[in-house]
Amino acid sequence: MKRWSTVAIAMLALLLPVSEARAQGKDTLVVALVSHAPTLDPHMHFERVGILVNINMFDSLLHKNARLEYEPSLALSWKPLNDTTWEFKLRRGVKFHNGDVMTAEDVKYSFERVLDQKKKSPQYGNIRAIKEVRIVAPDTIHIVTDKPFPLLLERLVFFSIVPKKHIEKVGDDAFGAAAPVGTGPWKLVEWKRDQYIKLEAFDQHWRGKPPFKYLIVRAIPEIATQVAELKTGGVDIIRNVPADLVPDLKASAQVYVSSAPILRVHYVEFDMRTAPFDKKLVRQAANYAIDKQAIIQKMMAGLGHQVATVVQPAAFGYDPEVKPYPYDPKKAKELLAQAGYPNGVDITLHSAFIEFRPVFEAISQMLTESGIRANPRIWDPGPAWNKFLQTEGKATNGYYGSWGNYSVFDADAVLHPLYHTEPGGWIGKHYTRVEGLDNLIDEARSTVDQAKRKRVYSQIQRLIKDEAPGLFLWTQFDTLGISKKVQYAARGDEWLWLFDAKPQR
Amino acid sequence: MIALIVRRLIRVAVVYVGVSVVTFSILHVSGDPVALMMPEAPETDRAALRKAMGFDEPVARQFVRFIGNTARGDFGNSFFHRQPALRLVLERMPTTLTLTVMAMGLALLAAVPGGVYSAIRRNSLVDHAVTVVVFLGQSMPIFWTGIMLMLLFAVQWRLLPVSGWDTWAAAVMPALTLGAFSAPLLLRIVRSSMLEVINLDYVRTARAKGVSEWLVIGRHALRNAALPLVTVAGLQFGLLLGGAVITETVFAIPGVGRLIVGAIRQLDFPVVQAGVFVLAMIVVAVNFIVDVLYLYLNPTIRVL
Repeated sequence: MKRWSTVAIAMLALLLPVSEARAQGKDTLVVALVSHAPTLDPHMHFERVGILVNINMFDSLLHKNARLEYEPSLALSWKPLNDTTWEFKLRRGVKFHNGDVMTAEDVKYSFERVLDQKKKSPQYGNIRAIKEVRIVAPDTIHIVTDKPFPLLLERLVFFSIVPKKHIEKVGDDAFGAAAPVGTGPWKLVEWKRDQYIKLEAFDQHWRGKPPFKYLIVRAIPEIATQVAELKTGGVDIIRNVPADLVPDLKASAQVYVSSAPILRVHYVEFDMRTAPFDKKLVRQAANYAIDKQAIIQKMMAGLGHQVATVVQPAAFGYDPEVKPYPYDPKKAKELLAQAGYPNGVDITLHSAFIEFRPVFEAISQMLTESGIRANPRIWDPGPAWNKFLQTEGKATNGYYGSWGNYSVFDADAVLHPLYHTEPGGWIGKHYTRVEGLDNLIDEARSTVDQAKRKRVYSQIQRLIKDEAPGLFLWTQFDTLGISKKVQYAARGDEWLWLFDAKPQR
Repeated sequence: MIALIVRRLIRVAVVYVGVSVVTFSILHVSGDPVALMMPEAPETDRAALRKAMGFDEPVARQFVRFIGNTARGDFGNSFFHRQPALRLVLERMPTTLTLTVMAMGLALLAAVPGGVYSAIRRNSLVDHAVTVVVFLGQSMPIFWTGIMLMLLFAVQWRLLPVSGWDTWAAAVMPALTLGAFSAPLLLRIVRSSMLEVINLDYVRTARAKGVSEWLVIGRHALRNAALPLVTVAGLQFGLLLGGAVITETVFAIPGVGRLIVGAIRQLDFPVVQAGVFVLAMIVVAVNFIVDVLYLYLNPTIRVL
C-alpha cells in the first residue's frame, strides 16, 4: 500500500510541469483577489480589485502611509493658494517603467485624459470639480477647481499618473491590455486573464527596490478555495475573510490574521416620509432596541466597532463627544408607547447585503422583541436595486446596507449620499427628511477652512444622532489572512500596499 | 437516412429560434435594462442610452434585429470588458470544453466497467458497494465534492495544487469533481440495460457456441446495452456544461462558466446572452451527434 502511494506521487510529480505562477521562491509574493479588473489601465475602471493592482504599478501625486497620513509621492509638497487653486511641487527625475522621465506634461495629461468625456473614464465623477491643470514651472503645477473642493487631496491619493508619450504611441486599448507603464514599484511581466497577473520589481523605482522581486496576483473567485491556497502556500495574502472562517485560520500553523477597521459603516435607513418612521420617537426606539455589541461579538467574530452615527472615527469631522445609543429594550418600548404604538407596529425592511444576511435577520429579530415587528426581506442586488429606485424607496420602511465612503476619509463622503435630498444624492433624496440638514451639509462642503468644517460636522452629528434618520450600527473590519512567511498588516483604507510587505525572517 | 438527418437538422433550426427567444428575453425580464445599467443617471442620459441601444423601438422589431445580429455573431460589446461579447465567450470555450470532455471521459471510465461488473455479478458484495457509492455520488452537490476533494488531496495530502488551470495536475480535481456528478447516473444506466440484455436469447446463443465470456459481454451484450447509455450521456453533456459553471468558480478555472457568473453579477447582458447562446448551441450540436451515433449503433433505426 505504501509502495503504491509512493509510485502514485512520483507519477503525479512527472505530470507536474512547474508553471510561472507556481514557481515561488522567497522573492515572490502571491496575492489572491476574487477577480481581475477588465483592464490594467488605472483610469478606465472603478473596480476595487483593479485599484489594488494599479497602486502597486502606478504612483499618484500623494500617498497614504499605513497610519493613513498623507505622504509625498510624485508631489513633494502641496498647498492651497486660494479657495479654488492648489499648488503642487513635483518630484524630479522619476522614471517610468519604459525609462522615460516623468514630467509636468505627464501629470497634466493624466488629468485631462480622465476629464475628456470622449474617453468615458468611469472615474470622471471623482475629479469632475477640476477645471484646469496649469504647468507654471517644469516642476510646479496648479490645479484649479470650479468651486472650493475640500476632497481634492483625498481624490488624489488614488489618481495614477500615466506616461503621455507612451500612451499616445501604443493607444489607450493596448495600454490597458498589454502595455501598462507607470512609475510604481512593480512593472508588468505577464497577464493571463482570470488566472494571474505577474509583476516584477522595477529597478529604477524612486523609493528603491521593494522587498519582493515578483508579485503575482491570482484571480480566485471562491473564498474557501482562497483559504485552501493560503494554508498550502499557494498564495500568501487573501482578503475579505468572512467572520466564520477567522477561527479556522487562527488555528492554522502557517497562517495569521490581520484586521483593521475600515471606512465601511452599516446602517438601516428609515423612510421618514411615512408611518411609523415619520415619528422621531419610533426612530429613536429602534436605535435603543439593538444590542450592537452582542452582534459584533457573536456574529462578526468581534470584527466591528460600534459607532454613534454614520460618521466614522477615521473620517475627517468625526466628533468623539457624540456617543452611541446604548442597548435598552425597555426604553425602546416606552418610546414606542409614547409615539402612539403601545401594542407595537409592523414594518418591512429590505436589503441586498447578502453576505450579512444573518446580521440583517438578527437586527429584525431584536426590533421585533422591542415591539417594532420587522419583516426582513433580502433581494438579489440587481433587481432589488431596480425595484427600490423605480418605487423611490416606497417598497419598504427601511433599508439595511453599508457605505464605503468611496474610500474617502471625510464626513462629506457619507453624509451627502445618505442624507442630502438633492437629486444627485443617493438614498437620502428618497428617505431622509430632517429640517436644516441639507444646508449644513452644503455649508461644510463649500469651504476649505478645515476648522470651520469640523465645527459644522460636529453640529451635524449631534443633529442626526437626535433625529435618528437611520439605525446607527457599526463600522466593519477588513480581515486579511496572511502566510507566516510574510510580514504585512491590514490597512484602514483596504489597500494592499505591498511595498510594505516583507519576508518574515 | 439522409432524410432523417435533414429532419433532425430542421429540429436544430427550431431549437435555434427557441434559444434566441430565451436569450433575447434575458434582457427584458428584469425590467428596464437601462435603469439597471445606469441607476444613478439623470433621465436625459437614460433616454440617450435607450435610443442608442434601440430599446425605444417595438419589441418585435428589436427581436428581429437581435436574430439578425446573432446570426452574424454580433452580440454587442461587453459593458464591463468593452470587448465583443462573443469573442470573450469563444476565447474561454476551449477551457470549458476540455474540462467537460475530461469529466465525461472519467465518468464513462468509471460507469462502464462498474456498471457491467455489477450487472454480471448482480447482488454480490461489489454490486451493493457500487449501489452505495452511486447513491452517495448522486447526493453530493458539485461545490461540496470539489471542496472536499480539495481538502483531502491538496490541503491534507498535498498531492495536487488547490486551484488554477496551468498544469495537468491542476485539472485532475476539477475533472474528478464534475465526473463524479455524472458517473452515478451513467453507471445505473449501464447496469440496468446490461441486466436487460444479459439473459436474452442471443447472448445465451453466443455463450452456447463457445464465444469467450469477454467477447460475449463486450461485443454482444454491451453493444446493445450502449444505446440508452449514448442517449443519457448526450443529455448529461449539457448538464455537465452547467456543472462546469460551479466547478470553474470553485477551482478558479478561466472558463465560460466563470465568465457568465461574473457577467450576471455585473449585469453584463451581452456576455450573458452570448454565453447562454453558445452553450445552448453546443448542447444542440451534441444531441445532433448523438442522433447520428444512434444510426450507427442501431441499424434498425436506419430503415425508419
